[in-house]
Amino acid sequence: MPALVAGIHAKTMRRVARKAAKRFALAWMAGSSPAMTATLFLSIAIAPPASAAEAFITAQGADALSIVDLSKMETVATLPIGGKPAGIAVSRDGARAFVTSPEGKFLTIVDATTRKIEKRIPVEGGPLGVAASPDGKRVYVTDLYGRRLVEIDLASGAQRSVGVGAMASGVAVAPDAKTIIVADRDDNALSLIDALTFSRITTIQVGKHPFGVTVDASSARAYSANVESDDVSVVDLRARKVIATLKCGSRPYTVALAKGRIFVANQHGDSVSVFDAESLAPVDTLKVGEYPEGLAASGDGARVYVANWFSNELWALDAQTLKVLGKAETGDGPRAFGAFVRDAD
Amino acid sequence: MRQGADIAPANVAVTRRLFLGAAAALASFAPCAALAAHGASPLKVVETIIIDAPPEKVWSVVSDFAHADWLPGVARVEASGDDVPDQARRRLILADDGVIDELLTKRDAERMMLGVHREGDDVKRLPATNYTALITLRPSVDGKTEVEWKARFYRGHPTNDPPPELNDDVAIATVTALQRAYLAALKAKVEQR
Repeated sequence: MPALVAGIHAKTMRRVARKAAKRFALAWMAGSSPAMTATLFLSIAIAPPASAAEAFITAQGADALSIVDLSKMETVATLPIGGKPAGIAVSRDGARAFVTSPEGKFLTIVDATTRKIEKRIPVEGGPLGVAASPDGKRVYVTDLYGRRLVEIDLASGAQRSVGVGAMASGVAVAPDAKTIIVADRDDNALSLIDALTFSRITTIQVGKHPFGVTVDASSARAYSANVESDDVSVVDLRARKVIATLKCGSRPYTVALAKGRIFVANQHGDSVSVFDAESLAPVDTLKVGEYPEGLAASGDGARVYVANWFSNELWALDAQTLKVLGKAETGDGPRAFGAFVRDAD
Repeated sequence: MRQGADIAPANVAVTRRLFLGAAAALASFAPCAALAAHGASPLKVVETIIIDAPPEKVWSVVSDFAHADWLPGVARVEASGDDVPDQARRRLILADDGVIDELLTKRDAERMMLGVHREGDDVKRLPATNYTALITLRPSVDGKTEVEWKARFYRGHPTNDPPPELNDDVAIATVTALQRAYLAALKAKVEQR
């Protein structure tokens, strides 16, 4: 492993050196001053290499977090987590990853840059779904068994909770930071929580057994994947009602949004259903790996990534052409339940 | 409860102890209301066997969802839905009159993959819930076939802090024994032993 790291490092350095030499030659030919070219050379030589986009994949069977380099589609690091990690949320600035361990009853905070575990916070019950506030100051965790959503203030460590429905699973924070949406799986409903007062505003009946929940960039709509009714509920957050129900493949689990499209991972279908977010018309059904679970889009919406639980793979899909771009092997039992993509710096 | 005597031939490639354990779990499986309650951590068991027959021959048995009376402990099968995924169902009627209801979730002849989901759980008899299997056939050496039987399930206890008889280890041990028995019975059926 160190030899591999050293090899990559040497290769990077050689590339940097080659680029610098080329620029130096170009500058020399253009007749610029040696001081200027020296500055140019230095600035290139000392600039840290930009980090690639990465996926933080909870591998529940492996009891670990698989970190996948998305430019190479390769697992580059494995962090032991413990407690059967399931839920994941990468903070919007990419600095931290929050991982739930429902069996261990804790939340792990990972420094996403250094790939070191920063802290482990006990959370009673069965911490499963996780989402970070847009400013990265608070983390929301669903307690699957305790009918509650837990808020953790990262600076003080203080916890408070609000009552939600039975078997609270997925959680999403609207980008406007005003509303938190929780999938109350066994109530066939979503709970809407006011983020400021941290109180439950209302519940909205959706399809049977909603698990994953996703909010769009304009905080206008929420989407729930309803495992037992094989559909997705489209919820208007202002009107607080279901405005459409989309029939998808067998056992839909999670939803991601990219390129004006809705992507749904179907566990039993071994597929991803694609819909137009505007017209809500079906676009296509893509064959993916075995038992797809976690689904997330890159920040620019160009790609959608899907974790395949049975076949231990992460697949990259082109959100526009809908072609498979690559596959990476992960640790055993990838759940990747949440916002698992960390965009490039 | 009857067990062992009315099940498969004795020369199957598993230990008798294991086989009887699995058969007991199977034979005692009874129907109940379909409760989907389960916890946060699905479990996985992967078992394989080599069968001395070409994949096409093995597939003709595996893919015949409606006639799986070769499964250990099964007396007869009632089926509907014409082997169409997400529609086809079968009721395995066991030698002791217990039943198991299963839904066909996948039937991919090209890739030789069959998916089955068990509907209805009774943890008093089978200490695992939400059992889903994916059976995959691959060509092996000398014209033989490797059969992989993968399962996804949850432990019998639906929340955290399970009692010892319904924990992960018990669920994994039971399902492992069950799948070994399934594979051994498939091998016996295809190889006509």
